[in-house]
Amino acid sequence: MGTNRSAITRPSTSSGRTGSARGISPAAIAARIRRDPAVASAVLSLWLLLALFVIYPLAMLLARVLVDQGTFTTAGLAAVVTDRHQMRAFWNSLLLGSLVGIVGTFLGFLFAFTAARGRLPRWLLTAIDTAVLLPLVSPPFTTAIAMIFSFGPRGLITYELLGIKGYTVYGLDSTLFSEAVTYFPIAYLTLRPILAAIDSNIEGMALSLGASRWRVFRTVTLPLTIPGLANAFLLLFAASLADFATPLILAGNSFPVLPTQAFLQITGLFDLRGGAALSFVLLVPALIVFLLQRYWVSRRYYVTVTGKGAGQTPFVSVSPGARNALLLACALITLVIVYFYALLLYASVVVALGANHAFTLQHYRVIFTDGLKAIRDTLIIAGIAMPLGGLYGILLGYLVAKKSFVGRRSMELVSMINYALPGTIVGIAYLIAFNDRPFVLTGTALIIVACYIFRYGPTGIRATVALLQQIDRSLEEASQGLGAGSGTTFRRITLPLVLPAFFAGLGVVFIRSMTAISATIFLVSISWTLITVKILENITELSLGPAAAFSVLVVAIVFVVIAIIGRLLKLFRAPGAVAMTSVFGG
Amino acid sequence: MIVIHCFVQPIARAAAFAMLLALALCLPPGVAPAFAADTINAYSIWPENWARPMFEEFEKATGIKVNFVRFSSGEALARVMAEKNNPQVDVLFGGPVETFAAGISEGVFEPYKPPSFAKLPARFRHPDGQWIAIADDPLVFMSNDKFLKEHNLKAPASWNDLLAPAYKNMLQMADARTSGTAVTRIFSVLEVNGRDENKAFDYMKKLRPNVQLYTKSGGGGTLPVGLGQAGAGIFFIVDALDTKAKGYEVTISFPKEGIGTAAEGIALIKGAKNPALGKKLIDWASSPAMQGQFAKYKINFVPAHPDVALDPVLAGVLKDAKLFPIDADYAGANRKRIVERWVAEVLNP
Repeated sequence: MGTNRSAITRPSTSSGRTGSARGISPAAIAARIRRDPAVASAVLSLWLLLALFVIYPLAMLLARVLVDQGTFTTAGLAAVVTDRHQMRAFWNSLLLGSLVGIVGTFLGFLFAFTAARGRLPRWLLTAIDTAVLLPLVSPPFTTAIAMIFSFGPRGLITYELLGIKGYTVYGLDSTLFSEAVTYFPIAYLTLRPILAAIDSNIEGMALSLGASRWRVFRTVTLPLTIPGLANAFLLLFAASLADFATPLILAGNSFPVLPTQAFLQITGLFDLRGGAALSFVLLVPALIVFLLQRYWVSRRYYVTVTGKGAGQTPFVSVSPGARNALLLACALITLVIVYFYALLLYASVVVALGANHAFTLQHYRVIFTDGLKAIRDTLIIAGIAMPLGGLYGILLGYLVAKKSFVGRRSMELVSMINYALPGTIVGIAYLIAFNDRPFVLTGTALIIVACYIFRYGPTGIRATVALLQQIDRSLEEASQGLGAGSGTTFRRITLPLVLPAFFAGLGVVFIRSMTAISATIFLVSISWTLITVKILENITELSLGPAAAFSVLVVAIVFVVIAIIGRLLKLFRAPGAVAMTSVFGG
Repeated sequence: MIVIHCFVQPIARAAAFAMLLALALCLPPGVAPAFAADTINAYSIWPENWARPMFEEFEKATGIKVNFVRFSSGEALARVMAEKNNPQVDVLFGGPVETFAAGISEGVFEPYKPPSFAKLPARFRHPDGQWIAIADDPLVFMSNDKFLKEHNLKAPASWNDLLAPAYKNMLQMADARTSGTAVTRIFSVLEVNGRDENKAFDYMKKLRPNVQLYTKSGGGGTLPVGLGQAGAGIFFIVDALDTKAKGYEVTISFPKEGIGTAAEGIALIKGAKNPALGKKLIDWASSPAMQGQFAKYKINFVPAHPDVALDPVLAGVLKDAKLFPIDADYAGANRKRIVERWVAEVLNP
């Protein structure tokens, strides 16, 4: 019954997916809207929202850079491009991004390979996963603070331990180190499923044909991972390009980078136009990376969930010696991460790290009195953004994956823009667009909520699209063929496959709402402030105790929420690995 | 496939409407927490640990609650200017008056002369009441005792002492793009060089290799100096004495050529939503009612009001110091140009 009605009232899904938007007459569109008002109204509302919160701010940013008193001019842009110092910041940003990409991908591969091929006991895997997640869910300054305390001129490691005097912590080295440690988990989470999905039969066959383990690794395993490596590199490059917090603390004055320069240009020199021009320059590499990632790398591999699993031959792909070496390397890096966070925890419970190490809970008292407003505001904003972001993700993802309508592809592309651009650009664009008529939103919670939904909701969109595309028709057909009703099929087969995307989207929006700063630093106001901004304030005022206490609080809240989401995913018997990857990979 | 349509479609429709509805509800600024009638909003340039006790005393005295956010002076002024058409706060509180002077040309302040106006010396008030001073804050040199001992140095007593090779990469001071402390410092260098800009910039360029880091906020280098991460720096006395009070072993000294002192101001924002209450805060802050409380909270500002006696400890520190005021008009008129030159020639040579 359902099948017949559906076939009559709406275009079939197969034609919907392959049918292009081109060549549909307005009359046909009108007819379709009459037939399917729900989809039409959903599409229309989404376009309105995208126009207001993605296209309009970006257009206003461009206008601010390129239009002066009504006439088109490139003077503002030229001032940046011809400025030696700003261009140095530009090249520094690219250099830092590339190095973070290389180092981070290497570390990520090391961990992913060890996890996938090292035959680790379960508890060890869990331990590594937890340690690796820490940097991803932490507020942005945590590794930077730990770096200064460890490697500064009076650092715990450089001075106290090694006795080096006058070591300069500020510069490329420490920024690179800090960013690599913070972002390599993205590479790990990108590469692990790829390595796990490589059919070990292939490796086993190569081995039995007489190839050495190294040769198998070099000629079979590595080539199969190359698209994944490229993807990881681009993701890390983009993450570094967008990171404004780490360089602000660690880059010092000898290694200026663009996001930090744009921030200082606006907050310090009252130069919105100059800041806009700087962020416009940053736009170019960010877009190139986004397009490369989207149209080149992501086409090279596809992991699908089907009902048919291939039998895996258990085989030993690394020798015991290599396995121990890999384990040792991973353990060392994990130890560094654990040390950083232990230091952070320690800093939050002593009077003044480095000077007075008496135990105190004073910093926690401070954040729950003076800082209470920031905590409350952050939780309210994250609480509002979370369900809306989750809904936005599955709604747009569902429409894009399963419906045909005019501009379907462009809708998906537009929805990804705020996600792909560095936060500095998005923040400045929002600041410019929503400070004046007709949309005066500065000072409201909405501007921050909208920023989070449209910037971090796309993870939910991607997860929804990926999951809907992965649902092999045979799964549902098999279920029905075995006698299950359509209700049972939906509940047992379809819903579990879409729900992870909902929770993934929701989880990312919440986590980022708790930890992001690069965009929202421009959007906080007298009425609405955020924990991360408070942390930055504390760091610049050198109240490191409260900064550490705030960070510990954020990590704790985020971990609780992740645990709840993980539980929910289990409850729905979902392929958790896929979902959790998209939660944190974004 | 089709099964999904039947179930997800209503969900999708509901979701779309829920989102629109929620966003529509958020739209008016009414989402901001509703404040009681007797609340005003302020940007504070003073750090929270000094602003908060002052505002709490004000609330005790008048029943008016001050809702505030702290920004560096550059950030605060940038915000006030950006919000000119839609002011978010009633009062700009604290910070060197040259920051305020830079805002006058932008027309962001509402002139107001509180009762204390007539009593204040000329340098503590803008003739039209665009701003009024609530405190005076001299710059000082602050050095780490252990660093001085390790390098066999005396506490710096001249601007040229800071050029010594021993300080290489060991000074921290503020970044002029965000910090009023830095701007006051640069104008101090200009004054001791007779406002000869080239001479002053030569000095700053010579000092550059000794500077480990230019910090975002004025007090940003105090803890590193306290901890010995840096050897010395130039800070406002209020930050320096605070560092000493926290137990760090540091020495405060003054250059024999003299060093600038900056008045700290307060101003009413043009178009403020609560001008009457804002004026009450200005009345209170510019009077002994507030400035008499500095000592109680160990806030080492020099009171601007002549009726408030200087704390004896602070007087002792300042005894032999040669101080000169920074000319707010000269500084305000040249600030942007000088800061830009500093960025181009000193920060990024």
